[in-house]
Amino acid sequence: MYLEFGTVLAFTILGIILLMVALWLQKLLAPSNPSKLKQSTYECGEEPEGSAWVQFNIRFYIIALVFLIFDVEVVFLFPWAVVFRELGWLAMVEMGIFLVILLVGLAYVWRKGDLDWVKLNMKNARGRYRRFAEDPNSNKNF
Amino acid sequence: MTNLTSLNYLQPELILTATILLMIVVDLFYSAKKSRRIGLWALAGLVLAFIYITVSGFNIPTALFLGSISSDPFGIFFKVLILLATIMTILVSFSERDLSNQRVGEYYILLVIVTLGLFFMVSATDLIMVYLSIEVVSIMSFVLAGYLRGNRRSSEASLKYVIYGAFSSGIMLFGLSILFGLTGSTNFFDIRTGLMELQNGADLALMLSTVLIFAGLGYKISAVPFHYWTPDVYEGAPTSITAFLSVAPKAAGMALIIRFFNSILGGEGVFTELEWGTFSAIPWTQLLAVLAAVTMTVGNLIALRQTSVKRMLAYSSIAHAGYMMMALPVLSQQGVYGIMIYAVFYLLMNLGAFYVVMIIANATGQEDYDQFRGLGHKAPLLAILMTLFMFSLTGIPPTAGFIGKFYLFAAVIKAGPSFYWLAIIGALNSVISLYYYMYVVKTMFFTQEKTSITQIEFKGISILVIVLAIPTLIFGIYWTPIADIVHKSLAIFIR
Amino acid sequence: MDQLQTYLIIGAVLFCLGLYGVITRRNAIAILMGVELILNSANVNFVAFARFGGMNMSGQIFALFVIIMAAAEAAVALAIIINIYHLYHSINVDEPSELKL
Repeated sequence: MYLEFGTVLAFTILGIILLMVALWLQKLLAPSNPSKLKQSTYECGEEPEGSAWVQFNIRFYIIALVFLIFDVEVVFLFPWAVVFRELGWLAMVEMGIFLVILLVGLAYVWRKGDLDWVKLNMKNARGRYRRFAEDPNSNKNF
Repeated sequence: MTNLTSLNYLQPELILTATILLMIVVDLFYSAKKSRRIGLWALAGLVLAFIYITVSGFNIPTALFLGSISSDPFGIFFKVLILLATIMTILVSFSERDLSNQRVGEYYILLVIVTLGLFFMVSATDLIMVYLSIEVVSIMSFVLAGYLRGNRRSSEASLKYVIYGAFSSGIMLFGLSILFGLTGSTNFFDIRTGLMELQNGADLALMLSTVLIFAGLGYKISAVPFHYWTPDVYEGAPTSITAFLSVAPKAAGMALIIRFFNSILGGEGVFTELEWGTFSAIPWTQLLAVLAAVTMTVGNLIALRQTSVKRMLAYSSIAHAGYMMMALPVLSQQGVYGIMIYAVFYLLMNLGAFYVVMIIANATGQEDYDQFRGLGHKAPLLAILMTLFMFSLTGIPPTAGFIGKFYLFAAVIKAGPSFYWLAIIGALNSVISLYYYMYVVKTMFFTQEKTSITQIEFKGISILVIVLAIPTLIFGIYWTPIADIVHKSLAIFIR
Repeated sequence: MDQLQTYLIIGAVLFCLGLYGVITRRNAIAILMGVELILNSANVNFVAFARFGGMNMSGQIFALFVIIMAAAEAAVALAIIINIYHLYHSINVDEPSELKL
């Protein structure tokens, strides 16, 4: 069994060595003449502006959180799949109930508008979006 | 018992689960204004579960789901207690001022989820279930404590809660992993069998894991030195949540601790009229005794110098956790009996005291002693009720608090001379607590009027305070019914 | 060296690193990272015990539950931290200090 991993190990070592050799060769052959412009960060050819530490839109964060939760819940499917044959229909029903509960969560996220990039359905909005919910014309902040 | 047959015993939990799912779906179709109605749905589900528990009466201790949880009168007793606390919390939440101008659907949903988690906490007999239930309760409580999102104090409370909570449950988890490694099982009873076969060399590891696990359990009941979150969270959270947190998770935590130590480190004693055996290899009973003494002393001493009544009650709740812990290390049925009786009375008087604070806060927006100045003249009935709760919390007869303390101290003294020091410290602490509880009474009746309250409306929450005050007084005189119920509930599942 | 021991040492080292992180850091996110280390140290222990201790599967199942709970806890904690940032413009845990003696 471990023999198969031996091949993988050989490939890994070989890959690392090849890469090192290539990098070492180019360092040996290429002329090195750094200037300030050359060492600056590449930003599509434009001159770099500001720091890389900028604030991202909060929507990225919410999508990431929703993804994280649903992604991790799926872990429960793995042990279930292992013993599925032995347990039969009962396991099927149990997993069905589990998935329904997850679906309720998904419905919640959907209805609250957290799946949309731009919140359109503001009926049940709360927090900063509430002002917009009460008066749809005051969309200055969005 | 297999999974399918276990479901019969799990019907209260199933009712709660169905209620939660239904509430989530229904709330999606309610507008922000209408979402208050979710509280009624929650109430309906909780009352249904309550009726089901009290009527069905599963009196025979049984192991469910291949031994991961158990159904027994001990657990059912605490479940009833938790349901009562949740129902009252929902009732007062309807008139909580802080909640009135925002969406509250999720608030009630989270409350019912906490209740479900507490149900599993009091019946867990497996390490996985212990960890899961504690986490469910904790995570929902973090959100509830910070439910007033724009409020700086509420947000700060939830930040502190989440950091302490995540940290202590992580530490407990490491302790659980050591315990699992020592015994090779996550089931309480297999662990006990495994521990009995353990060689002497593993004592240190066992001691370490016990201490680490107690960090997690102690955090739930806010025992010193795991109490630092308590005052801040209790002060910052909405008052209805503070009252709930000071009662329900604390009772469930005590139940879990009793079950855990009885099933794993104790013999089969307590609930079978035998002596509660113990592993002499590790001095966990002494450790608990010292922690109990420190907990009540620290709680009482810091409560002395508070300026906010809400924060004073937070520290006093730490002290009360100490009183209850006092009866743990004596390892007797009487000790558990005392804790259970005290849990009932503590629920009544502590909820009552917090609700009076809430009425004041609703009327004035503050919880300081200043707002209590001259309350005796402005709202005599409210002041008298508060006095009753303060008497009861101190343990002065004829109130329920006195009876509760009496049973606790009786259990400690009966355990023999080696515990007299604990009883003495407990008595001294009661004297200290007399000072700050009576200071509230003095402020209400014997100081110049300063409160900005003009009139207290007699509705909703005031009625609830009276409902809590009546048994606080009556059980101080005639407590046989409660004692009978507790006596019947003294049966725990033992394999 | 016994294989189980190796994993237990890794677990203990992770636990100590996490503990150190939680105690010394002021940044709420860094504290959460310390907590995650603690949780994962317990996971290493569970899986190692289940694999080498000749024990049943419950250790591995426990680790699965821990992973899920850790994700849920991190989600809630991050949401709370964002809320704190909105109100205080800082995620330093010392910054919010309205609840003091």
